[in-house]
Amino acid sequence: MIDPMNFLTILLMASVTYLTRIGGYVLLRNRTLSPRAKTVLENAPGCVLITVIAPNFVTGHPADIVALGLTVAAATRLSILPTVLVAIVSAGVLRSLLG
Amino acid sequence: MHGFALMTDTNFTLDTPVERSSFSEAFRGLRDALPVMLGFVPLALVLGYQAAQKGFSPIEVPLLTGLNFAGGSEFAAIELWTSPPHISLIVAITLLVNSRHFLMGAALAPLMRHLPKRKAFPALFFMCDESWAIGLADGRKAGSRLSLGYYIGVSISLYLTWVVFTSVGALAGPILGDVRRFGFDMAFPAVFLVMLAGMWKGVSAARPWLVSLVVGAATYLLVPGAWYVPVGALSGVAAAFFWAK
Repeated sequence: MIDPMNFLTILLMASVTYLTRIGGYVLLRNRTLSPRAKTVLENAPGCVLITVIAPNFVTGHPADIVALGLTVAAATRLSILPTVLVAIVSAGVLRSLLG
Repeated sequence: MHGFALMTDTNFTLDTPVERSSFSEAFRGLRDALPVMLGFVPLALVLGYQAAQKGFSPIEVPLLTGLNFAGGSEFAAIELWTSPPHISLIVAITLLVNSRHFLMGAALAPLMRHLPKRKAFPALFFMCDESWAIGLADGRKAGSRLSLGYYIGVSISLYLTWVVFTSVGALAGPILGDVRRFGFDMAFPAVFLVMLAGMWKGVSAARPWLVSLVVGAATYLLVPGAWYVPVGALSGVAAAFFWAK
C-alpha cells in the first residue's frame, strides 16, 4: 500500500517544507527590525499572494480571463464567500459558453 | 524598540486580561476559516484525483498532504511523479515552490515574540498561505500579537479539510471526474484576491504587488517549472525595499 520510494520522497518533501516554514522565524525571532525592514516585511504578504496566482492572469483562455476580471471586481466589493461563488459560477458558465 | 513609547502605547493591552479563552479563540478561527475551507474542497479533490492517477494509494495521498501540507508544491510534485519517483527533482521543486514560506515566517516572527519555542515550532508546521494571511491580519489588528488559539483554529480547520478531501479525491476521483470543468478551480485565486483586498492600503502601497504580478507572470510564461514563485515574490519585495523610506 505504501511504496518505500514514494514514502522516502514524501518524507524528504515534508522535511524541506517544514524547514522553509521555520526558516524565517528562526532567523528573525530575536532581531529588532529597522523601519525599512519592517516596511519590506509588511509588503511581503501581498507580493507572495499575487505571485502565486500570477499564472491565472496569463492563461490565454478568454473565459478564464473574463472570469478572473469578474472575480477581481467581486473581491474589492464583497466578502470571501460571495466572491468565491462569483468566481466559480462565472468560470463554469463562461467556459461552457466560450469553450 | 522596547522603549518607553511602546510601553505606554500598549500598557492597556498588557495589563488587562484581554486574551479570551483559547477555546473561544479557536472557534473564532474556525468561523473565519469556513469560506476558505469551501475553497479548499475542489482543489483537494483535484489533487487527490491526480495523485491517484499517478499511482498513489489511498494511504499515500493523506501521507503526502498531511506531512507536507503545502498545496502548491504537492500539485507540482504530482505533476512530476514517476515510478520510481525522481527524488532530487521533486525535493528541489518543493523547496522552490515553498521558498516563499521564508518570507512568510519572517513577516510573522515579530508577532510571535510572546510565544515560547515549544509552541511556535509546532504552530509553524501548519502555516499555509491562507492560515498565515488570516492569522497575520488578525494579529496586526490586535497590536502586533498573534493569537495562538485563533491561528490554531484557522490552521486545524484548513489542515483537516485538506487532508480529508485530498483522500476523498483519491477514492472518489474517478466518479467525480474533472471538477475543473465546473469552474471550481477559480475558487483558489478568488480566496487569494479577497485576502489581497483586505491588505489594500492604496495604489502607492500596492506598487510592489504589481511588480510581483508582472515579473511572476512573465517568469511563468518564459521559464518552465516553478521559478515564477520565488522570482516574482522576491522582485516585489526588492521593489518594496527600493521604495521604502
